[in-house]
Amino acid sequence: MAKTLFEKIWDSHKVDEIEGRTLIYIDRHMVHEVTSPQAFDGLRINKRKVRRPDLTFATMDHNVPTTNRSLPIVDQISATQIKTLEKNCQEFGIPLFGLDSPYQGIVHVIGPELGITLPGTTIVCGDSHTSTHGAFGAFALGIGTSDVEHVLATQCLVLDKPKTFEIRVDGKRKNSHAVTAKDIILSIIKKIGTAGGNGTVLEYRGQAISDLSMDERMTICNMSIEGGARAGLVAPDQTTFDYLRGRKYTPKNYDDLIESWKNTLKTDDNAKFDKSFIIDASQIAPQVSWGTNPAMTADVTESVPEPAEYARGDSSQETAAKNALAYMDLKPGTPLTDIQIDRVFIGSCTNARLQDLIEAASIVKGRKVSPKVKAMVVPGSQQVKMEAEKMDLDKIFKEANFEWRESGCSMCLGMNPDILSRGERCASTSNRNFEGRQGAGGRTHLVSPIMAAAAAITGHFVDVREWV
Amino acid sequence: MGKVIKYEKDNIDTDVIIPGQYLKLHDYDEIAKHAMEGIDPDFHSKVQKGDFLVAGRNFGCGSSREHAPIALSQCGIKGVIAVSFARIFYRNAVDGGFLLPIEVDEETYKKIGNGDQIEVDIGTNQIKNVTKNQTYAMKPFSEIVAKIISAGGLFKYKPD
Ligand code: SF4
Repeated sequence: MAKTLFEKIWDSHKVDEIEGRTLIYIDRHMVHEVTSPQAFDGLRINKRKVRRPDLTFATMDHNVPTTNRSLPIVDQISATQIKTLEKNCQEFGIPLFGLDSPYQGIVHVIGPELGITLPGTTIVCGDSHTSTHGAFGAFALGIGTSDVEHVLATQCLVLDKPKTFEIRVDGKRKNSHAVTAKDIILSIIKKIGTAGGNGTVLEYRGQAISDLSMDERMTICNMSIEGGARAGLVAPDQTTFDYLRGRKYTPKNYDDLIESWKNTLKTDDNAKFDKSFIIDASQIAPQVSWGTNPAMTADVTESVPEPAEYARGDSSQETAAKNALAYMDLKPGTPLTDIQIDRVFIGSCTNARLQDLIEAASIVKGRKVSPKVKAMVVPGSQQVKMEAEKMDLDKIFKEANFEWRESGCSMCLGMNPDILSRGERCASTSNRNFEGRQGAGGRTHLVSPIMAAAAAITGHFVDVREWV
Repeated sequence: MGKVIKYEKDNIDTDVIIPGQYLKLHDYDEIAKHAMEGIDPDFHSKVQKGDFLVAGRNFGCGSSREHAPIALSQCGIKGVIAVSFARIFYRNAVDGGFLLPIEVDEETYKKIGNGDQIEVDIGTNQIKNVTKNQTYAMKPFSEIVAKIISAGGLFKYKPD
C-alpha cells in the first residue's frame, strides 16, 4: 500500500499495539533543565535507570543567563535548576552540553547542528518546538514531563497515531531575501488557524519547500505546533544529506545510510493524506503578527484589521480579536508600518541559526539602531555564535548598537532576566505572541529576522522588500 | 460537586496558565500559586478543591510544559471543561493523572455559568448543573483514555 513519509516512519518504529494505542520506539531523546527535574525524581523514587543514556542528550537553554558566562548566576532558583540537571546527568550517565560547553545552545538548534537529528528517526523532547527536527524528515514531537520520565525509563512512548496533513507550498517566492521561511509559515498558520493541524503531522512539500536551506526548513517545521499539529516534517533530500555530513554525531556509515534514505524516506506517489492545504509562494509577503496568537498575522502592507472583518462571522473569534487588540493597544485601520516598537529580539529556536543572523546582519550593516529602540541578538547556540563571530557579524551588530549575547532561549519565553516590561512592544523573531509570553504585559509582534532588523533601525515596521 | 470558574476565551495558552518565569520552581505548591496568573492573578485564592475551570476552544495550546495541568490540579481544579483542547495539554492531563479534560459542545459551554455548582459523572458522561437544574452531555472519553483516568494516570495503568 502506498504510504506517506510519516506513515513509513511510524510503521518502522512500532514496538507493540496496546488497546488501540501504539508503543513507538524513540531513537533520540533531548533533555533540558526545565521539564526534566521531576522526571529524574520519578526515576529515583522507583529505582529505575535511564534505559539508553547513549541515545539521550542534555543541554541547558530555557533558563540560562545570556550575559557573561564567567560570572556566577544571580538568580538562585535558576542556578538550582541548572545544578539539578548537571547532577542528574552525572548520576544517570547522560551526555550534557552544559554552560561551559562549546556545544551548549537551544536544544532544537544543537540537535541538528551536532548531527544528533537524523532522517527517518523518532525524536522527543520535553518542549513543544521539538517539531523543528522534522525538517530532516524525522518524526519529532514535544512531550510533557511524565512522558519524559517514561522515555527515560523505557526508550518508548505510547501514542495514538496522528492523521496526516499535506501542506504544499507551490511556486517560488517573489523576493527570496525579503520573503523568508518565517513568512511562509506565518502565512500558513494565518490560513489554517492555531488549531487547524490538531491531531495531525504536517508534511511540507512543493517547490518552495525544496528550495529552502536546512536552516529555513527548521524555521518552518519549528512552528508546526503553532498550527496545533503534533509534528511537521520535510522529506530529506540532497540539501539534508549535505547539511549533516561531517557533524559531531553523524554516523560513520553515512554514505550507506544516505543510499537507503533516498529510497525509503519519501511519500509514495499515490499515497493519500487525510487533509491537504495548498498555498502559492509567489503570493506571500513579509508578515507581521498584530494579535496574541500566531494566526493573528497580516501582510506588512496591510493594516490592523477590524475584529468583525477578521472573524468573518465567528463571534468567539471576534471577541478574541477585540481582546487581542486591547492587550496589544492597537486600533483597527492602523497601517502595520506605523506601529512603533521599543524592543527587538533576534533569537529563539525559530530564528537564531547562522543564516538568520547573516540575513539580519545584511540589513543592519552600516546602519544604527533607532535611539528609542533597545535591540539584542541571542544566537541559538555557542556554535552559531562562534561561526557568526568568524564572519564578524558580532561586530556589525555591536557597531549598530545591538547587544550581542550568549546562547539560550532568552526573551523567547522570559524565564531569565531577558524580559519585556509591562507595555513594551517588541519585534521578535520567536514563535509565540501569547499574552505575557515575553514578560507580563509585554507586547510581541512575530516577524522574520530581517523584518526585525529593519524595525530596529527605523523604530517601526517596514516592508523589507523596499530594502533588498 | 464543585463550582465553576469560567473564562469566556478561546486559545487559553500555557503561558497564561503558568507563565514561563515560574517554570524554574520545583515545588508543585509554589507553582500552583501562579496558576492562571496571565489572565487572573487571584485565581489561586478563588479555587477550592473539586472546582472546575470552564473555557472555550483549543484550551492549553502552546508549550508542552506539564506545569500547566499540574498548576491547575495543585490548586484544586478537578477538571477543565472546554469546547476543545490542544493535544499536548490533553495528553499531559490524562497521562499524569492530573485532571479531567472534558470536552463539551458550544451550546453547553455557553450554558454553564461562572459560579455554577456542577457535578461531573464520567460513568454516564453527564454534567449536572445543580445551580441551574440542567443536565448536559459531555463527549465520552475514548476507551483507553477512560482506563488511564480510572487508573490514575499512565504510570499506574496496566494494560489487560
Ligand atoms: S527558544 Fe523558545 S520556543 Fe525554542 S525551546 Fe527555547 S523557549 Fe522553547
